[in-house]
Amino acid sequence: MMKTGIPALDDHLHGGIPRGKSLVYYAYPGVECNVFGMQTMYRAVSEGGRGIYVTSSTDPRMIRDQFAEFGWDAAKYGDRFVIVDGFSGLVGANSSEQYVVSTPDDADSLTQAIKQVMEDMDEPSVIVFESLSTIMDLCGESATLDAIEEWNQYAMLYDHVIVYNFTAWPYSEDTLAHVKGDICNSVVLIGGIVEKVIFSQYFGVKKTDWDEVTKKCTLYKVLKPGGVRVYLPKILVTGPFDAGKSTFVHALSTRSVSVDRLGTTVALDYGHVDHKGFTADIFGTPGQERFDPIVKLLSGEAMGIFLILDSTNTGDFVRAKRMLEITESMGLPVVIVANKQDLEGALTPEEIRRELDMAHDAPIIPVVATSREGVFEAFDVLVDRVMEAGSI
Amino acid sequence: MTYNLGISKIDELIGDIKGGTNIMMIGPPMSGKDDITNIIAYHGLINKNAAVIVSTREPGNNVLDWFESRDLSIPSEHIGIVDCVTRTLGFGAPDTENIKMASSPVDLTGIGVKISQFFERFWMEMQLKETRLCINSLSTILMYSNLQTVFRFLHVFTGRVKAANALGVYVIEDGMHDDKTIVTLKQLFDGMIEIREKDDGYQMRATGFASKPTPWFDYEIDGVNIILRG
Repeated sequence: MMKTGIPALDDHLHGGIPRGKSLVYYAYPGVECNVFGMQTMYRAVSEGGRGIYVTSSTDPRMIRDQFAEFGWDAAKYGDRFVIVDGFSGLVGANSSEQYVVSTPDDADSLTQAIKQVMEDMDEPSVIVFESLSTIMDLCGESATLDAIEEWNQYAMLYDHVIVYNFTAWPYSEDTLAHVKGDICNSVVLIGGIVEKVIFSQYFGVKKTDWDEVTKKCTLYKVLKPGGVRVYLPKILVTGPFDAGKSTFVHALSTRSVSVDRLGTTVALDYGHVDHKGFTADIFGTPGQERFDPIVKLLSGEAMGIFLILDSTNTGDFVRAKRMLEITESMGLPVVIVANKQDLEGALTPEEIRRELDMAHDAPIIPVVATSREGVFEAFDVLVDRVMEAGSI
Repeated sequence: MTYNLGISKIDELIGDIKGGTNIMMIGPPMSGKDDITNIIAYHGLINKNAAVIVSTREPGNNVLDWFESRDLSIPSEHIGIVDCVTRTLGFGAPDTENIKMASSPVDLTGIGVKISQFFERFWMEMQLKETRLCINSLSTILMYSNLQTVFRFLHVFTGRVKAANALGVYVIEDGMHDDKTIVTLKQLFDGMIEIREKDDGYQMRATGFASKPTPWFDYEIDGVNIILRG
């Protein structure tokens, strides 16, 4: 299996892309798509494999710079990072690449270069097409579809994995149906949530022929550096007064801010988390009862909840359960953070489970927010639950 | 939601332009289309609009310089430039707050992504609900991509302009394309600003906004003002 470099997508694909298979990243126009292929390519070379990048709309001198923008130093992989130059011929420029497509608007010329590079590779490699749609624009829809079939068969012969970035401009219905349907072994849809403008992006596997499809859409953001990161737009952090919510938000976040007065939160805590391929915006509520209307406001559209408890203060546990009710979080994934585990008298997670009368599988994570102990374990558990719930 | 071009007599004659309108500006080389495009963007900027300018002929920094060299007190954070030139010159310039780099004029996917990113930023983050999209020029894009490809691209983005109640201005060089190209592209636009050479100068008029075209006006560009005569 070749990994895509996007852990959540690899999960959806049941481990990655098997050798000899093809995958198309099928994107809605205006949604960032090329980074998916780049990330797959970079993952291959950084794991010791070989990657071939077929450029169609970018000067090959710029390709490594583009990878560097995401924090991926392609230059250090030398000849394991191969470029097939399908651009210079288009603008009449000279190329210093080993593999050059002499006439990029001719599918046969492209096929010749692609076959050559596939034959030359002495090990199964990943071949990434920067933009299949540009090739289609240049060579025509029908000729490109025929060529794709040929490239895929050739890749299968040599056990290469072949990956296409494709922007679904309004081509003919037949062409789009082919690209989205039968021409590749797997299709990953990349779309945008639109309301006047595209304000959020998602990916989801539409098809694989090597396993069952996991029907989930996952929100993502593209970070520079970082690449594609699964994005959780709202995670709520709630719990009674003085349980350590603000400390937890700050401990978890790469950047954060609190609206507080005299050391206690009076409006909200906000933090942004970037961890293990996931990015999330987290919102902490105040804990005092007089702020309950704010808690309800903040909890709208949350995708998961951290309930923070002071493990030494059983007197507040009833209030904690009440706060969960206020958030109207019924059905949302909840992780209970048993904070202040370093203090004398702190209850263990099992004791807390009994006190709260929680189900045996409700996750209760021991945490010391002041030293960040356990905070990322709690995050990992919540992310797993959110992903399992398919709530994104 | 309505817009004005910032060209006084023509604005008076055509009235308010409703949000979602796409305009083709067509004229001969050296007729000042770059300036006119920037002035239309500038007129929006001083009225708290955002401006997204796709530059296919000169680096994004030059476009910013156009505004700065005129010492215009406009909110620079409201300008977004999609630069399709710098990277084709072999410069690996990174994106900045104002300038996002597309790989080349061939990279319609990249151009589309950058336009969408600016629209998202202005609309969602900055709550600027009025945006002007200026593509200067379609002729460069047509040099590298065929008519069908450019039509598909414009079909999507004129639709986005409509959806966002924005104003789209698309520049085309007169005389560079055959009639079929112009006729095909015209279908996508709601109106036109036409420019022609006349005697020693140039004239402009607007068509498609009212039942009759406006008269032809001689014009002169003075800083950020377009002075019409006639």
